[in-house]
Amino acid sequence: MAAQWDTSRYLSLFVSEATEHLDALGKELVRLEGGVTGEAIDSLFRHAHSVKGMAGSMGFEATTSLGHRLEDLLDRVRSAPNRFDRAIADLVLQAVDALSSHVKAAAAGAPFPDASAVIAQLEGVTRSLRPGATPLPFSAPPAPPLVESSPSTEPAQPPRWLVTLRVATHSAQPGVRGFLAYKRLSSLGNLFRCEPPLDEVKSGKMPGNTFSVELESTEPEAVVQKTVSQVADVELVSLTRVTTPPPTPSAPTEEKAAEADPRVVGQEPSRTIRVRTELLDEFLDLAGELLLATAGVREVGRSLHEELRGQLNESVDRLHGLVRGLHDKVMEARMTPVSVITDRLPRAARDIARRRGREIELIISGSEVLLDRAIVDELNDPVLHLLRNAIDHGVEPPEERRMRGKPPRGTVKLSVRRASDRVLFEVEDDGRGMDVERLKAVAVERGLITADQARDLSEKEALLLSAAPGLSTASSVTDISGRGVGMDAVKRAVEAVGGTLEISSRRGQGTTFRLSLPLTVAMVNLLLVAVGDDVYGLPIAKVAGVVETSRAALSRSQDVPVLQFGASVVPARELAAVLEVPGRPHDVTVPSPFVVVDTDEGRVALAVDALLGQEEVVLKALARPLDQVRGLAGVTVLGSGRPVFILDVTRLEAPVRAAAVGDA
Amino acid sequence: MRHVLFRLEKDRYALPLDAVREVVVAPERYTRVPHAGPAVKGVMTLRGRVVPVVDLAKLLGLGGEPGTVGKVVLLEFSRRDLGLFVSDVEGIEPIEKVGPQPRPSRLVRGLTRVGALAVTVLDLEGLDSAVAASFGNR
Repeated sequence: MAAQWDTSRYLSLFVSEATEHLDALGKELVRLEGGVTGEAIDSLFRHAHSVKGMAGSMGFEATTSLGHRLEDLLDRVRSAPNRFDRAIADLVLQAVDALSSHVKAAAAGAPFPDASAVIAQLEGVTRSLRPGATPLPFSAPPAPPLVESSPSTEPAQPPRWLVTLRVATHSAQPGVRGFLAYKRLSSLGNLFRCEPPLDEVKSGKMPGNTFSVELESTEPEAVVQKTVSQVADVELVSLTRVTTPPPTPSAPTEEKAAEADPRVVGQEPSRTIRVRTELLDEFLDLAGELLLATAGVREVGRSLHEELRGQLNESVDRLHGLVRGLHDKVMEARMTPVSVITDRLPRAARDIARRRGREIELIISGSEVLLDRAIVDELNDPVLHLLRNAIDHGVEPPEERRMRGKPPRGTVKLSVRRASDRVLFEVEDDGRGMDVERLKAVAVERGLITADQARDLSEKEALLLSAAPGLSTASSVTDISGRGVGMDAVKRAVEAVGGTLEISSRRGQGTTFRLSLPLTVAMVNLLLVAVGDDVYGLPIAKVAGVVETSRAALSRSQDVPVLQFGASVVPARELAAVLEVPGRPHDVTVPSPFVVVDTDEGRVALAVDALLGQEEVVLKALARPLDQVRGLAGVTVLGSGRPVFILDVTRLEAPVRAAAVGDA
Repeated sequence: MRHVLFRLEKDRYALPLDAVREVVVAPERYTRVPHAGPAVKGVMTLRGRVVPVVDLAKLLGLGGEPGTVGKVVLLEFSRRDLGLFVSDVEGIEPIEKVGPQPRPSRLVRGLTRVGALAVTVLDLEGLDSAVAASFGNR
């Protein structure tokens, strides 16, 4: 009985670890197809061995036996790597799939699927690889791998230079100049040990207007000198060769250098533990609630005597700072590398390409980029679907590609990168591209839009029709992309986490799907505005400015009231009308605040009844049915307990429908 | 199956107890929801949760004055929170047999009797889609 209890306790650990090993197996296998290396086969063997061992300790006999046969086969392959071919790769993949189905069954408490057929095949092939056969000396040259492989061991360290620079005293922005020089140098190689640190250089804090940095570069001395000379107001003081490591006394900054570099050997590897993801969710919820509760305490303080209130506020400020720190740490703990998603893709790409008779090179970059776990979780299916689309509908079959003068092997690039507070996910193929006219025609035929609307659509809008429910340009319904989640599901999933989908495509040259995602889901800085009796939050990040003017003072352009904002004019609208809520009666000659925001269709000035201030809040996602409401990004609860909707200003409805200022 | 019995003006309605999380006194004011239909009263907060509240009488297309004094029946089904504004809650009664609908309506499962009282039993799914429509679904 006790043993039973123990096993069930470790089940979730088994499931998560076995899944990781099986994923890794799939990934390694695909890499192997790009070139067999003894090391990769070793790695396959180790993963299979681990799965077998874990299944054994859980008492899953069928799984253990399957794992054992796979291990046997890989062991043989290990001693005869030249015999590793596509047929064996397919068989190994089958075995991995069978093992995965066992793990899934274990997780669900269901009976294990029968694997005797795979076992028999594994045994057969293992026998045919008898060690009696003369093993050829292993010499297969590693072909370019399918995926960006782990960093290769570098041959020799490039030389390191200590570069000392001085920014001219008359420079208007010494920080900017210094930073520019730094950026230029970084194009030559790797930079280390900026002194003073780069942040201080950027803000112009350089003793004697001088800073130094170590440059690791294979470029000759003259190139370094020339590069620096191209930055105005910056002068090269000295360029000295440094020997590393260990630092020698010849380097002038050796004392600082010796202690500064975090990369010195002998450092302990950082220690990690596994935490249930639900626990992280609960942490975040609690940290968020704490922030709200702190705001609540401050609110109570408003009714206190002034002297007391001051003391209370001081404590609340401190408390708020601490809670904020806690919140940040929790957010940090939730950041997950997108490799969680991308690591599975090579295997998936291979399977899809194989089934569809395509030849594909999948290039993945940026999988180390971090995103909030909640977003990563939601992205799994959409990204897989975009990949399927790219391979199945984007990339042409090899013969067709040859006819079009393209290389028979199609390229699908998946790149992930940070862009300020967003993460951009791009899936790009070099296939046939999308047919905008055909998309429009099908949309009109299905009654999604009228012929007139179709004519007025921009190309970007027309391409997004492919994400409308029930539209697909595939001429045949294939077993891969024709059913299951469509582009509409992709769009919905991306928008649900506060992201946007964009498509660009060129006929005959390929299509790019771009997902722009928020880094985290939780904190947002708001400008609170009053409309009628209600309060709404506008994300500060989208607010370009505020102008106080009377409605009578607005000028008109093409019958639309416009507000002079800086050097440009922006259309002015009543926020109350945009939201279809009652506003306060207004006198057109009395000035009122106009908030200028950046929408997807450009800048718009929104007339509001009053500005209530700025507040940093915890954004709560909207649940059904509130998520059906147009133009809302989320909701928050103010310290007073009042719920306030946060507007998604990027997607305010089209100007046609919203009443312009003065018409309301 | 046990049902929660409640009143809209003088008429009696029922919903399965399983779908009801709790009953609270209706708040005096709500936060307005943009673009919402006339049946939507707004959102209220309950222990930090933001709960949308719908005026059930208006959702059913009944006339009458929009009352402010009443109860909010908080539903919890399909992982979503929803409050229904009703005149009052009368109790919990077992209801097994439900007769046919008096007139076709997606929101109504049928009529039944509890003691001497005529009770309209509501349909959760129909209610859910009517609510979604009130919040500007498509």
